[in-house]
Amino acid sequence: MITIRHEGCILCAGCASVCPTGALELVGNRIVYYPEKCVDCGACVKVCPANVITLKKGKK
Amino acid sequence: MKTNYDAIVIGGGPAGSTFARIAAAGGMEVLVIDKRKEIGVPVRCGEGLGAREVIAQGLELPKRCISTEIYGAKVVAPNGKSIIWKDKTTTGWVLERKMFDKWLCELAIDKGAEVRTYTRATELIKKDGKIVGLKVVQWGEKEQEIYAPLIVSAEGMEARIAKAAGFDTTHRLYDVDTCYQYEMKPYEHENLIELYFGNKIAPRGYVWIFPKADKRANVGIGIGGNLTNSDKNGIPGANPKVLMDEFIANHPTLKDASTLVDFGGVISVGAPLNEFVKDNFMVIGTAAKQVDPIHGGGIALAMETAVMAADAALKAHKKKDFSKATLLEYETKWKQTLGKKMEKRLMLRKVMEKLNDDDLNYIFGAITQKDLNEVMEGKFAGPVAKVLAGRPELLKILGVLIGK
Repeated sequence: MITIRHEGCILCAGCASVCPTGALELVGNRIVYYPEKCVDCGACVKVCPANVITLKKGKK
Repeated sequence: MKTNYDAIVIGGGPAGSTFARIAAAGGMEVLVIDKRKEIGVPVRCGEGLGAREVIAQGLELPKRCISTEIYGAKVVAPNGKSIIWKDKTTTGWVLERKMFDKWLCELAIDKGAEVRTYTRATELIKKDGKIVGLKVVQWGEKEQEIYAPLIVSAEGMEARIAKAAGFDTTHRLYDVDTCYQYEMKPYEHENLIELYFGNKIAPRGYVWIFPKADKRANVGIGIGGNLTNSDKNGIPGANPKVLMDEFIANHPTLKDASTLVDFGGVISVGAPLNEFVKDNFMVIGTAAKQVDPIHGGGIALAMETAVMAADAALKAHKKKDFSKATLLEYETKWKQTLGKKMEKRLMLRKVMEKLNDDDLNYIFGAITQKDLNEVMEGKFAGPVAKVLAGRPELLKILGVLIGK
């Protein structure tokens, strides 16, 4: 389970490009998160240039 | 609205629009869909482009697409020593990417292609296991089905439909650079691309200053995706924005400059996909990870690739056969030409990331502008010999470049 601080997001969709399961997608002017697809790998957290994604383990 | 085409292209960037232009000129009915409201926006790029591919395609860049002309580059070592190479003629441009992408789409429209913005691909339509079309959602409207015997993914980094078609489009952290960039002003420049190397400044990457018109510049940083933000999980890591701000704070003139735009992105610096085609499906450009592993540039590669892909598509169209076997011509040709160049660049990237700042300082001191040119052209033997003459212990890192 991740949380995104949307107000700091620069809409680069880098998170979506490294997500192995397609749990993130840029739709319009917002990154949409599909928690049911998320496998808590944290790749999006690491890659985010704006540092706005946080992993919350065990809350799936 | 029309629902049947010869090809549907997903993504109106340089790959998609170039494919559409060539395919439409050859007689195919082509639809380009782009999920963005405006082609080319938001910009997520340094906006640099070498002149070669634009000239090769017989195109003349309109003035509105060019921010400034580039006459060379300045490469700066960790200790501040720089190598400058300059040319009297234009070697490239820093673009106004919004204008450039829109212009390429206009050229495709001029040749008969149709472009629809704010239109997002959601799902492939299959019939008896065969891809026959695409479900799309035009913003705020109902899902619509569009049919074509060929789907072309020019989706860029986020290649969802190509992934759904079975391509390995997920990017590994080790094979991406995470980038942050500002457009800044004022910056006095000499129409040179400036690149700053150093593991402290930009671990496994570099800082760039790309000059733009009216004393503006794109000031950006790219660092290894596997080294980014790790500190949040207890491992020492780096954040591109923090490092960017540090670089600017220590820069003699940029420290007093203003920012006009904050932008960022993640770019592939790894190997291309193993395969680019399946029955009724092609992947081109950044979606196929066809990006230069050294500088992260993708525009020229995308445009050159799109021509190869469109040529193969036109042959398939003539034969009314969009099977993998027919489309494979594109992949085979790519691997024999651009693929060979990209392999060398990837090898160079993997060598460079092993060098510490002291090695980099030594190398920048030992090689000349001419050597640098040779390295960029993939001719490693001369420059490597020169470096090894003074620092033989680097053989274990550089040896791979000369087959040792």
